[in-house]
Amino acid sequence: MNFLKDRKFNSKLGMVALTAALSVSLTACGGNNNNNASGSPAASPAGSASASPAANDKPVTIKITNGKGEIASQWEEAAKEFTAANPNIKVEVYSAAVGDTLNVFDKMTASGDTVTIAMFDPDAALHKYADITSDLSNEKWNADTESALKNAAGQVIGFPFAIEGFGLVYNQKVLDQAVGGTFDPSSINTRDKLKDLLDKVKASGVKYPVAYETDDWSVANHFSSQFLNQAEDPNTISDQLKAGTLDLANNAVWNGYYDTLDMLVSKDYNKYGERPLGQYYDDAHLSVGKGESAMLFNGNWAYDSLKAVAGDKFGFIPVPVDNNPDNPLNNKIAAGATQVLVINKNATPEEQEAAKTFLNWLVYDPAGQDFIVNKSQVISGFKNNPNTVTNPLGAAIADAVKNGKTMPFTTNYVTASDYQTILGPDIQKYIAGKETRADLAKAFETYYKSKQ
Amino acid sequence: MLTEKNKLKRLGNQLFFTGPTMLFFAMAVLIPFIYGFYLTLTEMATPSSPAVFKGFHNYVDAIRDTRFWDSMWLTIKYVGATVVLVNVVGFALSYLVTSGLRGQNFFRTAYFTPNLIGGLVLGYIWQFIFVQSLPSIGEKLGIEWLRLGWLGDEHMAFWAIVIVTIWQSAGYMMIIFIAGLISVPKDMLEAATIDGANAWQRLTRMVMPMMIPAFVVTIFLSLKNAFMVYDLNFSLTEGGPFGSTEMVSMHVVQKAFVEYKYGVGQAEAIVLFVIVALVTGFQVYFSKRMEVEA
Amino acid sequence: MLARKRISASSLYVLFIVMFVVFAFPFFLLIVNSFKSNGEILESPFALPTNLSFAHFGDAFEKMNFGVTFFNSVIITAFSVIFILLFSAMTAYHLVRRPSKFNNSFFAVMVASMIIPFQSLMIPLIYIYGAKLGIIQSIPIPLLIMLYIGFGSALSVFIYHGFVKSIPLETEEASFIDGCNRRQTFFRIVLPMLAPTSVTIAILNVLWLWNDYLLPSLILIKPQHYTMPIQMKVFNGTYMNNWELLIPAILLTVLPVLIGYMFGQRFIIKGVMQGAIK
Repeated sequence: MNFLKDRKFNSKLGMVALTAALSVSLTACGGNNNNNASGSPAASPAGSASASPAANDKPVTIKITNGKGEIASQWEEAAKEFTAANPNIKVEVYSAAVGDTLNVFDKMTASGDTVTIAMFDPDAALHKYADITSDLSNEKWNADTESALKNAAGQVIGFPFAIEGFGLVYNQKVLDQAVGGTFDPSSINTRDKLKDLLDKVKASGVKYPVAYETDDWSVANHFSSQFLNQAEDPNTISDQLKAGTLDLANNAVWNGYYDTLDMLVSKDYNKYGERPLGQYYDDAHLSVGKGESAMLFNGNWAYDSLKAVAGDKFGFIPVPVDNNPDNPLNNKIAAGATQVLVINKNATPEEQEAAKTFLNWLVYDPAGQDFIVNKSQVISGFKNNPNTVTNPLGAAIADAVKNGKTMPFTTNYVTASDYQTILGPDIQKYIAGKETRADLAKAFETYYKSKQ
Repeated sequence: MLTEKNKLKRLGNQLFFTGPTMLFFAMAVLIPFIYGFYLTLTEMATPSSPAVFKGFHNYVDAIRDTRFWDSMWLTIKYVGATVVLVNVVGFALSYLVTSGLRGQNFFRTAYFTPNLIGGLVLGYIWQFIFVQSLPSIGEKLGIEWLRLGWLGDEHMAFWAIVIVTIWQSAGYMMIIFIAGLISVPKDMLEAATIDGANAWQRLTRMVMPMMIPAFVVTIFLSLKNAFMVYDLNFSLTEGGPFGSTEMVSMHVVQKAFVEYKYGVGQAEAIVLFVIVALVTGFQVYFSKRMEVEA
Repeated sequence: MLARKRISASSLYVLFIVMFVVFAFPFFLLIVNSFKSNGEILESPFALPTNLSFAHFGDAFEKMNFGVTFFNSVIITAFSVIFILLFSAMTAYHLVRRPSKFNNSFFAVMVASMIIPFQSLMIPLIYIYGAKLGIIQSIPIPLLIMLYIGFGSALSVFIYHGFVKSIPLETEEASFIDGCNRRQTFFRIVLPMLAPTSVTIAILNVLWLWNDYLLPSLILIKPQHYTMPIQMKVFNGTYMNNWELLIPAILLTVLPVLIGYMFGQRFIIKGVMQGAIK
């Protein structure tokens, strides 16, 4: 059945087809040993980039990993400005990209590079990477911040790079119209008042006041960690849960947050009420940005998506947990340092010194201050930074910090990956009505006990 | 058949023809894989911290991980759906674009374009279609089942992944089929037509048997791609709703790089490898036999 | 008879066009939206652009450092493909014509290797070539090409294997009688006969190499070595919202392959047509 046997092939045509490959291949066969070297023409400009610093008078290179990919170019610029001011210290910045399976710090460390300054979230800095952090307690900048990250032993190990916060993000224009005047976010400090506001929005002609996106990280890591704030120190509650001494099913605050969630995702108010799960991140921000919905639950980074469709004013309402207007939980925004910089103790003493110089530059040099706040639109954790971010959600968080209207960013007190992958599906099932509140309480308790 | 006269010459030819491939293959795949296997017998706090020997502990954890088996079962369903559909659609496309109609070159290129857009970006484009476009069409035309976003329902989300997979891979398989189809001698088909064979008979009795080498490759590839699906899964549904569409590769990556249980993730990857090796091994073995018989 | 033929031809065209819409639609979306601003893209993705401004393309071109990045991608893809084709054809030829226990198991191992999840090789790769040998830092691009030859050879040998089998032995024997040895026979007779398969394999490899992200993301650490897919990620901010830059960047990444494919597939057809006429 092999038809090829019956046919004559013209070998010339094949010669044409593979001329390029052949001409290279024949020469390659002549000297088999050259193969390894023959593929290297592109490596021309590399030069001797990675020189190892030896003595103090010699130039030092510090390597920084940046976890916030969206400000990669700002970091590059900052590195240049810093080196211009400190010619002996060269700064190389390696930024994370979206969809990286292996984070940039692990990648570099595993391939034999020593990162000098690494950006981590607080949980990673305190646990997974606890072995590489160094003590920064004696740094001058500690006097100018309240957000430095301390480990269990009380040492400062993390330099607060970015303050972030979350709550109900609202479109000012829509709410102004609904209340007939200028909407004041502090006027909403009970669940009933929020319900009342949502009804007013509906009455003003907006069919669905809420566009509730239910990504696992949002409903789990952010929304579902808020109950930890019922104690002064969120760790108290986690400790009780681990010890099995907290009964969540009868815990008023825990239940309160889910009562509020029930209202926000219900068919009455939520654009996606009929099928609350789905990949609605973009659509939700589009709806609120355009004013087709009044609010969503997210953090200050939501502005990146909102601004594409609207220049309107936006702000935050704290997520109300009950009907007591004096409850601080109803009056404060959850905000805190979500990214900290740590200095790798495996770096050479010279590199560590240079890294400290760099951190001071970020806090005290006008160019460093400008890089963080004006150029990167990051909310600084330092009181001495005179700049303010221009984006309205960032400004709202910054104001809240200034006025003492914030409470701990509870996501920093949980293992974010566990919340997302272990509790996330349970919370989503609860939202979809496939799991009861009691089941959910049990899932939380089981999880925390397993961490014991 | 000409045979080399002495052993030295035979060894020389063996090295000449297979040496370079062996060298680079060992460098890229074999040695890292063996080292990776060693890592499953250890425990590492982070991928960059020192490995501590732990024996088969990670495998016990992997086998006890119920979500790993849930995602495996889901993947098997997905494999079943996509292997059949991708090959049928891919073959149909290749048949269509070799039928000799004007403009077929243009269409060949067009059907192939889905392959050019990388997995992540592609996921976001389709997310938009399933979450916004189709529901708005459903709303306008009053089609009830289209009215709500697909990705919030576990069954529809699963089929959404299947649809995008077909859309993406059919053009790829088409190329492999085309290479086979255009070598089917036209005169032979014409002769059969004169003898009274209809189009269906020509397809099943003459064309298909000649396509066996191509089918060996495409079925293998679609099996393998389906077992390994990651990018699309990640960008389209992120495993949601409530983890119901998390396929096994995504689970392994989550285990290793999100939950930071590197050893367990690596062990699960090895278990996955063994399962896929068995399945594809059977497929290749039996179809290679068919190839010889044909 | 003629009328029937016309009907079936026109129904085929309908099928052609329906499939065309389904398959090219997302690509069409990309092109249409490459001329719009972020706001327009999100608000009305299906609308035609109001003006044909190439400003976003220019912006993306510059931010991608297109010249250097494109050059890197071309070098890496070209060298990898050429060596993959050559070495794989040689290997497949030998494995088919010289079946031995060793060769059969080597083939089986290669086929099996295709189903190794890449994620499970990531840590070993950077550990061996970074921490142990340090060549990720010193010769990233040659290292990447060597690894690509290794990763690409399995599928290519696998495909060649089936097609080498279908080459008639008689042709080779004639060449042996003419006094050619095995190597000469391979280069003069067998390799040319494999040309259509080679073009197909080349297309498949180019496609994979050009778009591959994971492996180069591990090995190419410095911006001057970046390839197109890595560079594209630079725009891809954490929350995926810089669409007005991202979409032109995607198109700039994709178009070279599309053009290459159009050229390549013509090549296959031409080659086979010539063969058929002869």
